[in-house]
Amino acid sequence: MIASSVRALVVVPALGELPRFAAGMGVRVLVRSPIGHYRVPIYLRGKTGLIESVIEPRAVDNEQEGFGRNAGSRLHYYRVAFPMTEVWPLYQGSPNDGLRCEIYETWLERT
Amino acid sequence: MANQAQGHDHDHHHELEGHSESGIPGYYDMLETAIRELLIEKGLIEAQEIRRQIEVLDSRTPALGAKVVARAWVDADFRARLLANGRAACEDFGISFYDDTLLIVLENTETVHNLIVCTLCSCYPRPVLGLPPDWYKASPYRARAVSEPRKVLAEFGTIIPDNVEIRVSDSTAAVRFLVLPRRPDGTEHYTEDQLAALVTRDAMIGVIPVSIDQASVPQ
Amino acid sequence: MNESERLIKRLPNDIGGLPGPPIARTDHPLEPWEKRCHALADVLDFRKILNTEEKRCGVEALGSEIIGHLSYYERWIVAFSNILLRKQILTPTEIALKMAAVEARWTTGT
Repeated sequence: MIASSVRALVVVPALGELPRFAAGMGVRVLVRSPIGHYRVPIYLRGKTGLIESVIEPRAVDNEQEGFGRNAGSRLHYYRVAFPMTEVWPLYQGSPNDGLRCEIYETWLERT
Repeated sequence: MANQAQGHDHDHHHELEGHSESGIPGYYDMLETAIRELLIEKGLIEAQEIRRQIEVLDSRTPALGAKVVARAWVDADFRARLLANGRAACEDFGISFYDDTLLIVLENTETVHNLIVCTLCSCYPRPVLGLPPDWYKASPYRARAVSEPRKVLAEFGTIIPDNVEIRVSDSTAAVRFLVLPRRPDGTEHYTEDQLAALVTRDAMIGVIPVSIDQASVPQ
Repeated sequence: MNESERLIKRLPNDIGGLPGPPIARTDHPLEPWEKRCHALADVLDFRKILNTEEKRCGVEALGSEIIGHLSYYERWIVAFSNILLRKQILTPTEIALKMAAVEARWTTGT
């Protein structure tokens, strides 16, 4: 055990560098209406799911990319798991069925 | 007035456009030529780049994805690497990714059947499968695959038991998907090439399984 | 939400979950111009002249009527034209003159 002889590293991450959410966390897709361009389908707005995985590396907000922004602040996208019955109240398939979608960090909140 | 996903939404090729008896290109064909030539004249792109990219596109076909699937079926280490990082494993395998997309390979199992779609546009794992079929890009599939996947699969002749989860991945960002279908029974003695010959584009989208009967069906 | 709000709040391509007809398993080999158009999109993206997300945004901005009437690659080339004009990379007159010149190759054999 060498911990006692090694000074712990103090590393400060940049703003937005670390993912805000982790696999397994419950999240809700926010409800808002962007003008011009968005990549979160309306059918997912307000829906609750679980983070399946954190997508690496961080990337530019694709809503801004659509207007020509090729650089800028980068945040994480997350692969979010939704039960089909959560997405579609009248879902007619199996209750086991699920949906996955990549969602940008600014579109999610913890449940 | 409710929105409707158009059935006849002009994603098919208009047979007569650009193919009159005189052979004159259609309006959009000529617009493409005009835009390309102007950009080349201004030095913003080169004709060589366009020619090369056409070759790149021609080289990307479902046969590449089929080879990846066959290798994953016979090589457990490759399979593990493929599932951990699809793009890296494909690059190691010799399939370069000319764009900034990522690849997640979705493994079909006894309990999960995967299906891929892009409801918002036509995201598709082009570096490893080539260009998507028209039906994948058209409204009916894009509208219905996320909300009634079992009915959609049934239209392709695929029935999945209720105890198996159908998992639909809707691409909206940089990640692309490739379904790793289940290896059919009775192929234990097949060579890797024989296995690859069984794997169709539609199986890697997830609308049909891989079966021995499919081997002779053209894609 | 009334119709005028709906048209702005829901992009014309945002159709996930809407009702739709049976899937017609259509496909067609790309016309040469369509393949050139796809290659052009890729090259413009590599060069960061017009990235893939801008292309999507440009197609959305065509609006439902044009989207409903134009084929897949027809939508792309019109969207490219609009974006290149807005970025002042090309001008309307340049495009018009070049189009006329391209057309003239077919009618006069020049």
